[in-house]
Amino acid sequence: MKIAVVVQRYGPAVNGGAELHARYIAEHLARHAQVEVLTTCATDYVTWRNELQPGVEQVNGVPVRRFRVKHERDPRVFAKRSDRVFDERHSIGDELDWLDAEGPTSPALVDHIAKHAAGFDYCLFFSYRYYHAYYGARAASGRAILVPTAERDATIGLSIFQPLFRSVRALMYNSPEERAMINAVSGNEAVPGVVVGIGSNVPSNPQAARFRQKHNIRGPFAIYVGRVDRNKGCNELFEYFQDYLKDPAGKLSLVLIGHSLLEIPHHPRIRHLGFLDDADKFDAIAAAELLIMPSYYESLSMVALEAWALGRPVLANGKCDVLRGQCIRSNAGLYYDDGAEFLGTLEALEQNRWLAGSLGRNGRQFYREQYDWPVIERKYLEMFDRLKQEAPRPIIDPLPGWFDRRRQDLRAAEEVLAGLPTGPAGRQQAAAPHRAAADAAGRRRA
Amino acid sequence: MAEFNVRSDSVNVEQIMEQLRARIREKRGVDYTEQQIRELAAVKLEKFLDPRGVRSDLLEQFRKAQPAYEPPELPNFAFEDSTLFESHRAPIRWLRKLLLPILKLFFNPNPLIQALNIQARLNTMNAEREARREATRRQLDQLYYELIHNLVVEATRLGIEVKNLKMRLESVSSRLEFNERRARALESVVVYKPSGAESERPPRQQQQHQHQPAPQPQRSQPPPQTTAYAPQAAESAAPAPAAPAGGSPQGVEGPGQRSRRRRRRRGRRGGGSAAGIMGSPAAQSTSDPAAGAIAGDAVTAPETDAVDDYESGEEGGDAASAAQAADAHHESSDAEPRPAPAPDRSEEPDSQ
Repeated sequence: MKIAVVVQRYGPAVNGGAELHARYIAEHLARHAQVEVLTTCATDYVTWRNELQPGVEQVNGVPVRRFRVKHERDPRVFAKRSDRVFDERHSIGDELDWLDAEGPTSPALVDHIAKHAAGFDYCLFFSYRYYHAYYGARAASGRAILVPTAERDATIGLSIFQPLFRSVRALMYNSPEERAMINAVSGNEAVPGVVVGIGSNVPSNPQAARFRQKHNIRGPFAIYVGRVDRNKGCNELFEYFQDYLKDPAGKLSLVLIGHSLLEIPHHPRIRHLGFLDDADKFDAIAAAELLIMPSYYESLSMVALEAWALGRPVLANGKCDVLRGQCIRSNAGLYYDDGAEFLGTLEALEQNRWLAGSLGRNGRQFYREQYDWPVIERKYLEMFDRLKQEAPRPIIDPLPGWFDRRRQDLRAAEEVLAGLPTGPAGRQQAAAPHRAAADAAGRRRA
Repeated sequence: MAEFNVRSDSVNVEQIMEQLRARIREKRGVDYTEQQIRELAAVKLEKFLDPRGVRSDLLEQFRKAQPAYEPPELPNFAFEDSTLFESHRAPIRWLRKLLLPILKLFFNPNPLIQALNIQARLNTMNAEREARREATRRQLDQLYYELIHNLVVEATRLGIEVKNLKMRLESVSSRLEFNERRARALESVVVYKPSGAESERPPRQQQQHQHQPAPQPQRSQPPPQTTAYAPQAAESAAPAPAAPAGGSPQGVEGPGQRSRRRRRRRGRRGGGSAAGIMGSPAAQSTSDPAAGAIAGDAVTAPETDAVDDYESGEEGGDAASAAQAADAHHESSDAEPRPAPAPDRSEEPDSQ
């Protein structure tokens, strides 16, 4: 079996969520099939500048073929087109222009897929929102399997992606919430799909003491791992945690790991350690009392899974449906909707050791049952087997013509998003107008 | 949150969150949202009394918002008989004038010239009229705003005044209620009991007394009192010449006199037999007129004290002066045998 993994960036130094997801999947599927990665020469997701050489190279034993990006992203043009399609009535042409502005625009990659797709059994496309997935899935037609990594943001409301969700051979979802959202927006229930997610290379014996000694950290602490960014809810985390620090009974410190795009409050109990390698990261999580995940938009929080794999409870933002759903399904984390709940849940986890321990144990079990690598690999292989037995699906509809592209009859993507159901999977309800409006406002601020 | 408790080994996050939220609600009290709290905080209790709600500079604001009126320069045209043939080039003007008779062979331009001339004048008149009307309207607007301003001020003032009046009314009604209570207390204290001589007075005499209006001006009558027993006291004090001489006029009595009288009363009580003081039938059967008088007054010791308490505890009023009159009556009865009780003054025409 020959499989192509198509992703926007790829490499050992590329640590974005979807990109890491793609690398892990490629490396694990390489044990069962012949895998080739098709990607761009870009490493920066903001500019898509060509920084790597085009051609083929080996990354951890997997061949990687890179293609040049035609043009870098112009932030002003992208912002203007984003405003147009997200907030105003627009046309398909506007959406395609937005996709082109977003990048990474690599016609060479798409041409290669069109020419060589027949040589692969399946092409796995990661991240539905990018140029390579939209045009690449069309080029691969009946061989395209999509790993959407969709978040609850306005992009899901763009109409160009709905035929994509309906016409690929299969979808590998990250969470039941993601699946429900895509089903609701595109009506693709008939397309084969499975909630898979992603595993992690968690070490079996992390060294918490080593981390404490290396970074001179004493006392109990909560940890945040990821980009320190407003989009990740870090400003809210700082606000809430500073409230917590006013309580003399609380003993926890906050340790932040990851690049920072946000000013970090100056407080002796808030430590920012910057970007750490995987070993240090796992040591840090093992040393922590709990992991805090303040993000509003996640398709699957790998860090939360890693914390659970290491037996640590998670405190998540309850306004993120995926995180909330994962906490409920796993019984391994608490969640908060506002500052008072943040304080209440944090204090409960800090002061009730039994509760924290039980949640951690549940998390470890949840990870083993759902996200351990053998489970993930098995789900992919089962899907390939299933697709082999099914007849290929029809080819994706051709792109609309000149007049259809210019018809201004599409609703703003924010409006579409506001109409989608919210809440954890199985308990979803129609989006309340005020919440939808608040979400939209929050996204716009972000 | 320390007492947060999950007993089961199988942890249910949703149940835990419910418990946590319940505890947070308990801590907060009522589970208001932030928005509700802000709304509640913004509510004004007495809006019309809020001085920030009354704009004293309404007129100035209006004047600022509306600049002085300047009539617009409306476009118009001037149309005279020579307008059609004017030109800045003299030869052309001359040529047109020369050819005018020829033109007039084709049509008569005079009605057109006249019509347009009239129209130009009408336009001017209309513009002027419109400007005058607009100016008048703006002046009226200013007056209206001034009027509204005054109305707002007046309404606010009236509102405050109504509030004040309501408070005064409440105060007066509470005082009235208090006075009524006091009057009832005094009425219950001063129990009138007629003596044997009075009861034997022939009814004819009483009738005569009623039919013949008493020579009121000659009698030293106290000012008409509202309570029923006050005239009786004055009436009983009148025959005794010592009463006006020995004390101040009724209603004008110093605290020293009052306390002296009180001491005297206490002294008498101490001297007399308890039965006599209490007005028992045994005391009445004795021939001591003083005892009978005391009994006839029927002002028992505790009740007198109650009256005294009223006098000393409350401000002087009708009831206090009536109590003083009763005291005066009491003292006069000490000196001589008790006179016949006065008839009810309320039935006399001059007392009304």
